[in-house]
Amino acid sequence: MRVVLAEDLYLLRTGLERLLAEHGLEVIESVDNGPALLRALTERQPDVAVVDVRLPPTFTDEGLRAAIEARRQVPGLPVLVLSQYVEQLYARELLADQAGAVGYLLKDRVFNDDQFTDAIRTVAKGGTVMDPEVVGKLLGRRARDEPISRLTAREREVLALMAEGRSNSAIAQRLRVSEKAVGKHSTSIFAKLDLSPSDDDNRRVLAVLAYLNA
Amino acid sequence: MDAMVVNGWTWGLVILSAACLAVVWAVPTPRGRGPRAVGLGALLVPVTALYLWAAGLTAPFALTYQVTPTPSGSNQLTQTGTLLFGATNPGESFWLGMLIVSVAAVVTALAPRQAAYAAAAGLLVFGLWQSREAASFESGFQVHWFNWLVASTWRALVWVLALASITGGFWLTRRTIVADLRARKTLTDRVEQLTDTRAVAVDAAAAELRRLERDLHDGAQARLVALGINLRTAEKLIRTSPDAAAALVAECRETSAQALADLRDLVRGIYPPVLADRGLGDAVRALALDCPVPVVTEVSLPGRPPAPVESAVYFAVAEALNNVAKHSGATHALVRLAYTDGMLRAEITDDGTGGADAHNGTGLAGIEHRLGAFDGILAVNSPVGGPTIVVIEVPCALSSPRISTC
Repeated sequence: MRVVLAEDLYLLRTGLERLLAEHGLEVIESVDNGPALLRALTERQPDVAVVDVRLPPTFTDEGLRAAIEARRQVPGLPVLVLSQYVEQLYARELLADQAGAVGYLLKDRVFNDDQFTDAIRTVAKGGTVMDPEVVGKLLGRRARDEPISRLTAREREVLALMAEGRSNSAIAQRLRVSEKAVGKHSTSIFAKLDLSPSDDDNRRVLAVLAYLNA
Repeated sequence: MDAMVVNGWTWGLVILSAACLAVVWAVPTPRGRGPRAVGLGALLVPVTALYLWAAGLTAPFALTYQVTPTPSGSNQLTQTGTLLFGATNPGESFWLGMLIVSVAAVVTALAPRQAAYAAAAGLLVFGLWQSREAASFESGFQVHWFNWLVASTWRALVWVLALASITGGFWLTRRTIVADLRARKTLTDRVEQLTDTRAVAVDAAAAELRRLERDLHDGAQARLVALGINLRTAEKLIRTSPDAAAALVAECRETSAQALADLRDLVRGIYPPVLADRGLGDAVRALALDCPVPVVTEVSLPGRPPAPVESAVYFAVAEALNNVAKHSGATHALVRLAYTDGMLRAEITDDGTGGADAHNGTGLAGIEHRLGAFDGILAVNSPVGGPTIVVIEVPCALSSPRISTC
């Protein structure tokens, strides 16, 4: 799998390169600034890009802007955005094109390298991965809303994990229940939220996030 | 009287006037030229009186004097010059003296309100010019450039006008001084206000630093220490009991994540990253998104306010929204952010139960102080039963016009 990596801090960049290589992900280009990232994304069109939000020259949200612009030029280009902090605002901007193949994670998630590389592969396959912190905020904001408040505690857990972009089997594993039970919860959630059910994981995540973001 | 002596008198007056001017100009005054003009007047009056006494008090008012001879056929400019610096009788010198006083006053004041002095000077110059034209230079006797002042029917009128102009000049100057005193009062008040807000700002900054120190000490720093200890233990255990070592290392990973979370919260409290990235507009939108109560935002900022103002207004809006979420019981809130006529204005409205008080432990008092450092204000209108409106206004300039994104 061909990966473009954008990270301006040398230590983190080399650390990530090593981590990705260990998991069989080939870094075809590492860049350390926004303009170079945009060029690398549009010209090399990697299978997935791992992008730090804050990059030179402005040291603001250069990486995010470059990623969004690249996806405007190459629709659906898979991008996983990493950041020291997460903002719903940025999550919204990444999800706005409804094309999927995006991820938005705290840099801390890199510590769990298996989950992190799983997330990279999910995004590369067109899936959507949202940081639990973003999902937590989304749910927190909607907690008092009528349909959400009717969900059971377990259903809310399942909804959160779905919004993070996890598959039924991953959710089952995480909650230590059977996949069938997760399927049942998921059907119930979709019914209560009045969403049309979908077997397609990617579309399901997008639907849930669109619902929460509304 | 000897012509050479009187010539000296004129020069004497010019030098004295210049000296007075220099003295008055050198005296430092707190504000403007008004006090200087009065000072000059106060000096020039006795100086002129002394001069007149020395030159012969009655001289200016005598009906006939020997006119200062000027070369026949020379133009008026040359003749005036001759009069100014070569006058040969005290009468001419007196009028020249008055002219110099008036001109000096105007030069000193150099302000529109001292136009009265200019009028006096104008009248005298006019007299000089007129009479010179009429004089018979050939005869040299019985005809004076100031004849029209002392002998004509215009005499009374010109005297009154000249005196009125000079008096008016001084009266206007006095008014300037009164205005000056008022300005000084305003300044004193302002200095007091600035001293207060500065003290508050300094205290707040110090308290903030203490809080940061404590948070770092108890948070990230403590976790890093724990991390070091656990890693050392893991290092020792790695051969003898690898399982225990692995568990410790896993714990270390957890601890480092916690340290990061602590630092993240800290950074957010110092200067929110989204504010640094996107400016106030998007930062307020991000706040609205994070608020548990649905918030509609309306932002109209044609540029970015200075960073300290952005930060103060951001935390003010954050606190207001925090109150909305915690205390108001509101189901909806609206944040309006706009910039008009040099004033940044944020308005936070909610449909809650009202009864909020800015000075009743809602955290708004601290915000109010922080805004005070920028001459900003915070007003809360919250009748019992609602709605609550919090208004924040800060005067500031916007820089680098950039349309806020999305």
